[in-house]
Amino acid sequence: MEIAAATPWWIWPIALFAVSFAIGIVAVLAGVGGGVLFVPIVGSLFPFHLDFVRGAGLMFALAGTLAAGPPLLRAGMASLRLVMPLALVGSIASFAGALAGFALGTAQLQTLLGVLIIGIALLIWRLRGADRAEVEPDALSELLRLEGEFHDAALDSTIDWRTHQTPLGLAAFAGIGFVGGIFGLGAGFANVPALNLLMAAPLKVAVGSSGLLISVINSSAAWVYLHRGALLPLVVVPSILGVMLGSRIGARLLGVTPAPVVRRLVIVVMLLAGLRALSRGLGLWT
Amino acid sequence: MDLMSRERRLRELYARWLDAATKAGFAILLAAFLVYAGGLLPAYVPLADLPRYWSLPVHRFIEVTGAPQGWAWLGLLGYGDALNLAAVALLGLVTPACYARLLPALIAERDWLQAALALAQLVVLVTAASGLLAGPG
Repeated sequence: MEIAAATPWWIWPIALFAVSFAIGIVAVLAGVGGGVLFVPIVGSLFPFHLDFVRGAGLMFALAGTLAAGPPLLRAGMASLRLVMPLALVGSIASFAGALAGFALGTAQLQTLLGVLIIGIALLIWRLRGADRAEVEPDALSELLRLEGEFHDAALDSTIDWRTHQTPLGLAAFAGIGFVGGIFGLGAGFANVPALNLLMAAPLKVAVGSSGLLISVINSSAAWVYLHRGALLPLVVVPSILGVMLGSRIGARLLGVTPAPVVRRLVIVVMLLAGLRALSRGLGLWT
Repeated sequence: MDLMSRERRLRELYARWLDAATKAGFAILLAAFLVYAGGLLPAYVPLADLPRYWSLPVHRFIEVTGAPQGWAWLGLLGYGDALNLAAVALLGLVTPACYARLLPALIAERDWLQAALALAQLVVLVTAASGLLAGPG
C-alpha cells in the first residue's frame, strides 16, 4: 500500500479505465455480467478498499444495464411483465443486502467474495441454457400473466412463451438480490439460470430480462452506497466509462471471436481472482 | 387492445424514457468528471490526498476526510467530487423516472395489478433514495 500511496493519483483512474475497458470487451464475448469480474479483479489488484470497489461494482453493473435496456426492450427480449414482480422482490432484498454488507468486516467480506466468485465460475462452467417447448403455468404466473412473444431473428420465427414456478422464482430473486447488494454485483450469472432453467423463460428472453432486472434491482442498493459515502467518483466514473466503451467494442468483436475460448478464459480469471480474494480474507496472502 | 400489443406499447414507452434519461445521465456524468479531474473546481477531498485514504474502510475514510454522507453533498456542489456524486445520483434516478412514467400509462390501461406493482416499486426506490433507511449507521 506504500507503493500505491506514492503513485501519482492520476495513474489509478487511467488504469481503472483500461481494466474496465478490457472487462467490458471480455464480458460481452463470454456472455457474463461485467460486475462479477470487476469486483474481484479490482478488489485484488487496486489499492482501493473493498467498500469503494463494491460501490463502484454496483454502479458499473447499473450503468451497463441502463445503456443496454432500450434495444433489448424494443427487440422484445426484455419483458416488463416478467421483470416487474421479480424486480420488486429483488430490489427490496438488494437494499437489505447492501445494508448487511456494511455490517460485515473486511476479512469476512473478502472470504465470502472469494467463495462466491469461485462458486460462480463453477456455475458458469457447468450450466447450459435450455428452451422448453411446453410449459404449464402456475396460478401466480397466470394471475400476473407472465407470458409474451418475441421474434427470434436467428430462427426467423415468432416464439410465444410463458413461465412457471413463480413462487420459487420470486424466492430465487430475493436471494440473488441480497447477495448482489452485499458484494456490489449485477448478478446476471444467477438471473439468467433462474429465469431460464427455473421459470422456463426462453434463453434470449432470460438474457434480455436479466439486464433490465439488474437496472431496477441495483438502483435501490446504489442509494445505500451513495448515502454511506462509499461511491468515490475517482473510482466509479472511470469504471463506468471504461465498461461502456469496452462493451461496444466487445459487441463488434462478437461475430469474429471464438466465444468458447473467451468463456474458458473468463472462468480461469474468475477462479484466480476468487482464490486471491479468499487468500486475502483468510490472511494467507495480503 | 390485446395483451401483446399493449405490452409492446408499454415496452416502447419505457425504452424511450430509459434511452433519453440514460443518455442525459451519461453526458452529465462525463462533463462532471472532466470538471473534477481537470481541476476546474476544487475537490472537497483533494485529489492528490486521495491515495492516502482510499484504502481505508468507508467509515474511517469519512472520519479522516470529513467527506459527506447522506444528502450532505447537495450543499457542497461547488466542489468537483460532490458534483460527481450528484451526477452519479442522477443515474440512480433513471429507473424511478421510468417507473413514474409507466404508472399513469398502466392506470390508463386499467391494468390494476401491474399498476400496483409499479407503484410498490416506485415506493421502494423513492424510500431507498430518500436515505431514511440507508443513512449512516
